[in-house]
Amino acid sequence: MFQFILRRMLWTIPVIFVVSALTFILMHSVPGSPFTRERALPAAIQKNLEAKYHLDDPLWKQYGEYMWGFIRLDFGPSIAYRARTVNEILAQQWPVTMTLGAVAFVFAACLGIPLGILSAVKQNTLIDHSSMVVAMLGVSIPSIALGPFLIWIFALKLKWLPVATWGTPAHIILPALTLSTFYLSRFARITRASMLQVTREEYIVTARAKGIRESVVNLKHAFRNALIPVTTIAGPAFADILTGSLVVEQIFGIPGIGKYYVTSIGNRDYPVIMATTLIFALLIILMNLLVDISYALLDPRIRYN
Amino acid sequence: MKKLWLFALVVALLAGVVVAGQAKTLHWNLATEPPSLDPSLATDTTSHQILKAMFISLCQFDDATMAVLPDLATSWEFDAATVTWTFHLRSDVYWTDRNWTLSGIPVTAGDVEYGIKRLLAPETASEYAYVLYLIKGAEAYNTGVGSADDVGVKALDNHTVAITLNFPAGYFPTMAALWLCAPLPQVAIERYGDKWTEAANIVTNGPYVLGEWVHEDHLVLVKNVAYYDVASVKIDEVYCTMVNEASTAMAMYEAGVLDVDDTPPLEDMDRIKSDPVLSLELQQAPRLCTYRYGLNSAKPPLDNILVRKALASSVDRQSLIDYVLKGNQKPAQTWTPPGIFGYVDGVSLGIGYPYDPEAAKQYLADAGYPGGVGFPEVTLMVNTSQAHMKIAQFIGQGWMDTLGIKINITNQEWGVYLATCSADAPQVFRMGWCADYPDGNNWMNDVFHSGSGNNYEKYNSPAFDALVEQAAVELDPAVRLDLYKQAEILICDTDVAFIPIYFYTFNQLTKPYVVRTFAAIGGESWKNWDILDH
Repeated sequence: MFQFILRRMLWTIPVIFVVSALTFILMHSVPGSPFTRERALPAAIQKNLEAKYHLDDPLWKQYGEYMWGFIRLDFGPSIAYRARTVNEILAQQWPVTMTLGAVAFVFAACLGIPLGILSAVKQNTLIDHSSMVVAMLGVSIPSIALGPFLIWIFALKLKWLPVATWGTPAHIILPALTLSTFYLSRFARITRASMLQVTREEYIVTARAKGIRESVVNLKHAFRNALIPVTTIAGPAFADILTGSLVVEQIFGIPGIGKYYVTSIGNRDYPVIMATTLIFALLIILMNLLVDISYALLDPRIRYN
Repeated sequence: MKKLWLFALVVALLAGVVVAGQAKTLHWNLATEPPSLDPSLATDTTSHQILKAMFISLCQFDDATMAVLPDLATSWEFDAATVTWTFHLRSDVYWTDRNWTLSGIPVTAGDVEYGIKRLLAPETASEYAYVLYLIKGAEAYNTGVGSADDVGVKALDNHTVAITLNFPAGYFPTMAALWLCAPLPQVAIERYGDKWTEAANIVTNGPYVLGEWVHEDHLVLVKNVAYYDVASVKIDEVYCTMVNEASTAMAMYEAGVLDVDDTPPLEDMDRIKSDPVLSLELQQAPRLCTYRYGLNSAKPPLDNILVRKALASSVDRQSLIDYVLKGNQKPAQTWTPPGIFGYVDGVSLGIGYPYDPEAAKQYLADAGYPGGVGFPEVTLMVNTSQAHMKIAQFIGQGWMDTLGIKINITNQEWGVYLATCSADAPQVFRMGWCADYPDGNNWMNDVFHSGSGNNYEKYNSPAFDALVEQAAVELDPAVRLDLYKQAEILICDTDVAFIPIYFYTFNQLTKPYVVRTFAAIGGESWKNWDILDH
C-alpha cells in the first residue's frame, strides 16, 4: 500500500509538469495579452508593462522562472490586480471557497446518499419515484436559475436568510444549498443504482437466507460495497467543489476563488491562470489517490501490491 | 506648532459631532473588487469611483455641467510665452490615514510634482502615462530616454506648481481634474511599496478615508474629518459591497440592503417601469459615452462610400432604444456626446445619417446593388456578451429586412476580439468610448487621428488629422468648437468612417431618502450626497 501511494505521488511530478507546460503554451497561444485594451496602449507603455512583469523575456525563460517559483510556492504577482500577489489571492479567497464547498459537500453527501439508499430499499414505491424526480430536477436545474429562485423565496418573500454576500453562518446556507443540489442528486442516483446492483449479489441473498435483519443486510453488507461507485465520483466532485463555482459565487457575491478561474483567462492574467490550473490539477490527482485508497478500505477484495 | 494644535482641535470637534449624531451610511454596490486604488495605476471605473472619494486633484468637474472647478488648486493661469500652466494651491489640505496618526501634514505642490513624475516613471508602468505626454519631457522620461528632472512639472513653492506643455493645450485644465494629476503621499508609497493602497497603509486627502478593505468582499469609506470642506460632507460612511450579479444586486436593493442599484438588469426594466414604487425610484441621466459600429472601409463592399451610407441610413436607433435597450438612451448621428466640449447636435444640424429606409435603399441601388442583389455577405462582429448580441441581432435584422442583404453575425471573446479588430477588423464591428476628460480632443484626436491606436477603423484622412491637430493647440474656444464641428461632418457624414448608434445614459434605482447628484463623466460625488431620515 505504502509503495502504491509513493508511486502515485511520484507520478504527480511529471503530470504537473505536463499540465503546466500545456497551460503555459495554450495561454500564450490565445490572441491578446494582459495589456490588450479597448483603449489601445502605445508601444512604449506596453514595453514598460512587459518589462515590469518580465513578459519581454523569451517564453522558455518565463516558463522556467514560473516553475521555479511554483516549486518554492511563490506564484508571482497578479497582473490584473496590481497590488496583490497570487499567493495573497489564494490565501484570502480560497478559504472562503473551501468553507462553502465543504458545507455544500456535507449537504450533498448527507442528504444524497441516504436518499439513494431509501430509494433502493423502497424500489418502485412512491418514495422511490418522488426521490428520483427530486434528484432529476436537481441535476437538471442549473445553479444560475436555482440561486435566484432560492433568493426570491427565502430572502425576499420569507425574509429568513440574507440575499447575498458573506460573513455569517446564515450567509452560507443558500449558496451551499445551490452548490450542493447537483452533487446531491448525483449521489442519490448513483447510490440508488449501486445499491440495487449490490442487493442482487449472491452474498446478500445468502445474508438474507441466514435470516439477518433487513436493515443490517442493507446498511452493513450492501451499503459498504455500494459505496465504491459513489466514492469514485465523490473524489473529483470534492476537488470540483473546493475549487469553487463561478456561478454560485457570482450569484451570491461570495469572495471566493471560483471567479478567478474564468476572469483570469479573460484578463490574460498569466500567473493566476497557471496557479489556479495547477492547483486544480493537484487536487484532482490527490482526490483520485484518496479514492483509490478508500477502495481498499471499503472492499477487502481490492489490494494494491 | 500652534497651527497643529488648532488642527487637532478641529479634528476632535468634528469627530465628536460624528459620534454624537446619527451616523449616515450609504450602502453601495461596487459590483467588483477595485483592481487598484493607486491613482497612478487605476484604469477602470470601479477603482476611479473609490479614488474620487479618497483623493483630490488639482481641479474637479461640476457633475452636471462638466465645468472645471477649483479643488486643490484655487486658481490657475496660462503663460503663452513659456507654454506653462501655473496652479495656485490651497494651504488647508492635509494628508490623513484611517487612524488619523498622520493628520496635520499638509499637501504641497511638491506632492503634485511627485505624483505626476511617479506616474511617468517607466518602472511604475502606468497604463495612462501616455495621456500626460503633452507635458514637456514626459514622453522622453516615460520611454526611458529622458530624466525626471527634464519633465515640465515643477513645484515653485509649497503652494504653486507650474506645468510646462509641448503645445498650448487649451483643454489642459480638464486634464488637471483627472486622478493622473493628483498629489501622492511619497512617504507612504516609499514605506509600503505596492502595499501602500491597503487600508492599514493608505494615506489620502479627499472627503473619505479607506476604513476597511476586505478583498472581493467589501470596502468601507469613512468621512475624512481633516478634509478641507468636511462641513459640506453629509454622509459619514459608505459601505461598498462587491456583488457582480445584476439580479442579485437588484434583489439586495429590493430587500433594502442597498440604497442605490446603479445597474438594474435589462430583464427587469419593464417590471421596474410598471411597478408603482420602483418606477418612481428609477432615475435616468446622461452619461458621456457613445456606442458605435466601426466600418472597415478597406474591405469590399464597404470600400464603397454608398454602401456605408446605406448601412448608416438603415439603423433604426429609436426602436433599438425602445425595444432592446429600454434605458432612454439618445440616438446618435454624430460621435461626441452632449456634455463634451465639441459636441454638435447632428440631428438638428443634419450631420450624419438618420434612419431613412428609402434613402438607404437608394444608396444601395446607386452602389450597384438594387434590392441587395449581388451584395456579398457582410460580417458583423461583437465581443461575446448577451447585450451586444441583442443589439447586433436587431441592427443586423434591420439591414437584412431593409436592404435585402445577408449579414453574418458573429462574436469573439473580448481579448481575442480586440486582437482581431486591431490586426484585421471585420467589415462591421462594435466599439464604444467613454470620456476620460470632457473635451473633444479626447473624442477626436485620441480616437480617430490616423496615428491613434484606438482608431480600429484605420480611418486615415489628412484633412481630419489637420482639423483635430489644430483644435488641440488652439486656445480660442469658439474656433475650437468650429474645428470639431468640421471634424464631425468629415468623419460621420462625408466619409462615414463608422456608424454612431447611441449616447449612453445612467439608469439607476435610488431610494427616496437618498439625495444625490449624477456625475455624467462617471465616479459619483458622494461628498455632495445626503441621506434623509427614513
